[in-house]
Amino acid sequence: MKMKKASVFLYLIANIFNTLEIVAGLVLTIFGAVCAIIKPYAVQEIIEGQYTAKYKITQGGLNQMATICLAIGIPMLILSIILMILIKKASKWPRPSVGTNGAVMLIGLLDGDIILVLAGLFTLLARRQDPDMKEEQNHLGLRASRAIGNTFSYIVLAIISVVWILPFVFIVLQSFRTETTSQVGYILPKQWGLDNYLFLFSPDCDFLTWYFNTFIIALACCILQTIMQLMMAYTLSRFRFKLRKPLMNIMLILGMFPGFLTMIVLYQVLKAMGLTQGNAVGGLILVGVASSGMGYYVSKGFFDTVPKSLDEAARIDGATRFQIFYKIILPLAKPIVIYTILTAFMGPWGDFIFARLIAFGDPNGYNVAVGLWSWLSQSMISDYYTRFCAGGVIVAIPVIVIFLFLQKYYVEGVTGGAVKG
Amino acid sequence: MATVLLKDVKKVYSGNVTSVHDFNLEIADKEFVVFVGPSGCGKSTTLRMIAGLEDITEGELYIDGVLCNDLQPKDRNISMVFQNYALYPHLTVYENLAFPLRLMKHPKLSNEEIYKRVTNAAEILGITQFLARKPKALSGGQRQRVAIGRAIVRDCKVLLMDEPLSNLDAKLRNQMRAEIILLRKKINTTFIYVTHDQTEAMTLGDRIVIMKDGFIMQVGTPAQVFDSPDNLFVASFIGSPSMNFIHGKYKAGKVTLGDGSVVEVTKEMMKLHDDFYKSQLEGGDPNDQAEQFLRDTHGVDLEKFQKIAGGEEHEVVLGIRPEHITLVKEGTKGAIPLTIEVNEMMGSEYHIHANMDDGSKVIVRIPTISLEEKEREEMVPDHKIYALFGSKALHLFDPDTEISLLRKKEAKHEEKKAEVKEEAAK
Ligand SMILES: Nc1ncnc2c1ncn2[C@@H]1O[C@H](COP(=O)(O)OP(=O)(O)O)[C@@H](O)[C@H]1O
Ligand SMILES: [Mg+2]
Repeated sequence: MKMKKASVFLYLIANIFNTLEIVAGLVLTIFGAVCAIIKPYAVQEIIEGQYTAKYKITQGGLNQMATICLAIGIPMLILSIILMILIKKASKWPRPSVGTNGAVMLIGLLDGDIILVLAGLFTLLARRQDPDMKEEQNHLGLRASRAIGNTFSYIVLAIISVVWILPFVFIVLQSFRTETTSQVGYILPKQWGLDNYLFLFSPDCDFLTWYFNTFIIALACCILQTIMQLMMAYTLSRFRFKLRKPLMNIMLILGMFPGFLTMIVLYQVLKAMGLTQGNAVGGLILVGVASSGMGYYVSKGFFDTVPKSLDEAARIDGATRFQIFYKIILPLAKPIVIYTILTAFMGPWGDFIFARLIAFGDPNGYNVAVGLWSWLSQSMISDYYTRFCAGGVIVAIPVIVIFLFLQKYYVEGVTGGAVKG
Repeated sequence: MATVLLKDVKKVYSGNVTSVHDFNLEIADKEFVVFVGPSGCGKSTTLRMIAGLEDITEGELYIDGVLCNDLQPKDRNISMVFQNYALYPHLTVYENLAFPLRLMKHPKLSNEEIYKRVTNAAEILGITQFLARKPKALSGGQRQRVAIGRAIVRDCKVLLMDEPLSNLDAKLRNQMRAEIILLRKKINTTFIYVTHDQTEAMTLGDRIVIMKDGFIMQVGTPAQVFDSPDNLFVASFIGSPSMNFIHGKYKAGKVTLGDGSVVEVTKEMMKLHDDFYKSQLEGGDPNDQAEQFLRDTHGVDLEKFQKIAGGEEHEVVLGIRPEHITLVKEGTKGAIPLTIEVNEMMGSEYHIHANMDDGSKVIVRIPTISLEEKEREEMVPDHKIYALFGSKALHLFDPDTEISLLRKKEAKHEEKKAEVKEEAAK
């Protein structure tokens, strides 16, 4: 029974992701087509009027944007439609089976959707421990298919790990190379040393400022966003009010638009508030936190699995709604709380687009991603390439540490706690 | 000191499903009231309205004289035991019990006081040795005790229980039932208990409220609802195995059954029978909701009732409980011949399923010791036995409205009047 629920949950995730992608693909394609065809001079004039000459987005820029949108949008659209059909097929099979989970994983893999891959794998593994299922499968003589399913999933996972780990190993090796600071044609350093790391922490390098900026943004977003998101999820899971359904639908639709569509407007608003360039940290916190309630789906799904009778019992025992939230729901939803904290931290930690836009060329407002990227410009790359790699490693360390400790919860959060005993 | 008063309480769920119709009930202080009825009849809904977990669509609810319609559950000073226990899985048993105490504001309890109360409740329920465990590590019966414990740590005005024993196996259920009776002696409070099991209702309740399709079919003590059911539904719901119903024709105190046997009713019953049809012609008792409900749903054929009141022969449903049938020798006056179909040996008694000559089914329940060794051996399928229906134990029902013909309306009116007087005195 439990596993069936897990599978249903997976299909839901899969369907949400793919619906989102189809719509995003559509939007991008349409936007691209519109830009390319009608060349909106009016928009261009507004932009030109507002921006300084240095950072002007020219008509050429708009065309480029249109082309990029088309280039990303059309393949995304086609892929998503194929995936949708695949998923529909998979869910029509008589009941969630090894094959279905395999399909979900495959879809996830094709889609670059690691969440799906993990979810599929863990359901597969959990299914093995489900006695009901085991008996039934033995009875039907499906042992072999289970073994095939597992082997398949292990192979897939092994391939993903290699693909993912290779670039990281490469960067780590480069960061310890001291014979030159520029790019070279070989992988193993000839001279090993800590020079690159020492440089990062020396006073004439902005790296620490960037690191600190990023940390502040990520921390603030992490705290505020977690609070807002969980409260939103609790509200939508437990309260019944008139506009609940419409609100959820609106947020779903709004969420389909890629965040960077709002870039230009956001920049103007933040500029008016004095939160750009040197003060980009404040601006980025605002951007990160502003729409955080909209990411309620996963936590709401988890909260929905906590029986309502616990709320009722607590209400009768004298708890207020808020007390129910933090004394009952939150402790029971620990995996999802940690999942939310992690994702809320990771978003700003690796943010580039908004960070670059809002810092607008002022190194005091850079975060690590933008700062490090500035070292890759043509004039700097030969002096800074190995330093860039060292910076990358340092940026990755906190994330790796957090994940090592909390991965159990992360997976439970992603799979809706279905794996839990 | 906690009375509960429900006045015309009604529940309409979204989608216009009326789950509870005009529920009227006055529950006295420290009374143990049981709501019983088949699944889906609105017992839980009513209980949850009293608890404040469901809005009351219409009507008024008073707890201790205070109008509670718009009060939050926490402000009603009630506690509740749920069917699925609803223990907080992340807290130990001790913390589960302490949870309501920690939330109390006035007076704010000290940790020592909480400890005292929790251990006290744990002792009453025999769960002291589990206090450090999490609910997951307890058996069903132990969990239910914890759930009850959590409900009694606070001195609440009303203790509500929604099918608290349904998730337990039969043996444990009997044991817990006995414990609830003991518990009631220890904690002096008003109980409202919901169950679909008539045995639980009969053994636990001071008064039983029998419900069907959102209507109250009868309210009374266990003895009242057992001995004088107001209608066919109550008669069939209360008692196990349930009452036998045999169709027959009534004329002047004699009921002729399908196989030609004649059963005589008492003089008193004849009078009640006549009174019933007279009162039905005048529209029945306007204050009796169950009666009005049955009249409305089944329809009343006034012309037919007119003829019956005039003394014409008419159909009746004759009811007799299996334990009120006695076996007699062949040839005894009034004996009804039966053919055994199945004989269930229950240990201390036999449940004999038999057929009358016209095929009507009758269940006879006789103590094993009332039979000689030889007679016991004869109780096999196809064996003929002779049964006597004692006049005093008979029930008569109108086949159309399913209302009992033997209701002592006068007595009820008197009761009502007394109640009204009492209320006026207040
Ligand atoms: N939340 C709800 N929404 C709509 N209908 C409900 C809801 N809860 C219960 N009902 C309906 O109300 C009726 C009574 O339910 P309930 O009080 O739970 O019955 P019982 O406890 O006697 O089995 C049922 O027909 C049920 O379908
Ligand atoms: Mg119920």
